Amino acid sequence: MAITVKLDDLLHDRRMTLTELAEKIDITLANLSILKTGKARAIRFSTLEAICQVLGCQPGDLLEFQRD
Amino acid sequence: MARILSATLPIAYIVLRIMIVLNWLYGACLVALLSYSFINEPFLMRALHLASPSENPALVIGVRAIAALGILTVPLNLAMLKRLLAMVETVRAGDPFVSANAYRLNAIAWVLLSLQLIGLVIALIGKAVSTPAHPLHLDAGFSPGGWLAVIMTFVLARVFAEGTLMREDLEGTV
Repeated sequence: MAITVKLDDLLHDRRMTLTELAEKIDITLANLSILKTGKARAIRFSTLEAICQVLGCQPGDLLEFQRD
Repeated sequence: MARILSATLPIAYIVLRIMIVLNWLYGACLVALLSYSFINEPFLMRALHLASPSENPALVIGVRAIAALGILTVPLNLAMLKRLLAMVETVRAGDPFVSANAYRLNAIAWVLLSLQLIGLVIALIGKAVSTPAHPLHLDAGFSPGGWLAVIMTFVLARVFAEGTLMREDLEGTV
C-alpha cells in the first residue's frame, strides 16, 4: 500500500503501548491494531484527531506516502 | 414493524420450500403429459378436439412445443427459488449484506428475464397455431408487471452490490 501508518514509531518514541493509547483515545485495541498493521481501509478524522492529541503529533507524522 | 418482519421470514422460508416441491411436481406433470401425448396420441387428439393429427398438424406440434418450453422453465424456477431461499437463510443468520446475495439477485434477474421471454415465445406459438376451428387460449404473453419485476431485480442487484462494497469499506474504517 502507498500509505504507511507510522504508529509503531510514534508509540516507541513516546514510550507508550498500544493498549495505553487505545484506552486514552477510547478506541478498541482490535481497531487500533488494524490501523497499526496497515490493514485499515480508511481512518476517521475523529480518530486521527484523538491520536494526534494524545501523542502530540501532526497527521503527517502518523501517515506517510510511499511511491510504489 | 420488527415483529412483522420477524414473522414474514419463517413464512417466506416455508413458502419457498413448498414452491420448490410444487415446481418439481409441475415439471413431473409436464414431462408425463408430453410423454403421454406421444404414447397415447388419441388422448391428445381428444383434448384438442381433433379427429386426427393430419387435421391440424401445426396445433399438435405447437402444443407439444409449449409443453417442452414449460419443462424448460422448471430448472429456471428452481434456480430462482434456491437462490431466494439462500438469501432468506442469510437474513436469518443476521448477515444478508454479502456480495454472494448481490450475485444471487443478479442471477434471479436473468432468470426472470428468461421466463418473460419464454412466456412471449409461448404466446407467439399459441397465436400461430390457433385457428377459429381449434382456438388455443393461453395465459401467456407480454406482462408489464413481469417486465417491471425484471428491471427492479436488476436495479436491486446493483444497489445490493454497491451497498455491500460500502459496508466492506465501513468495516475497514478505524
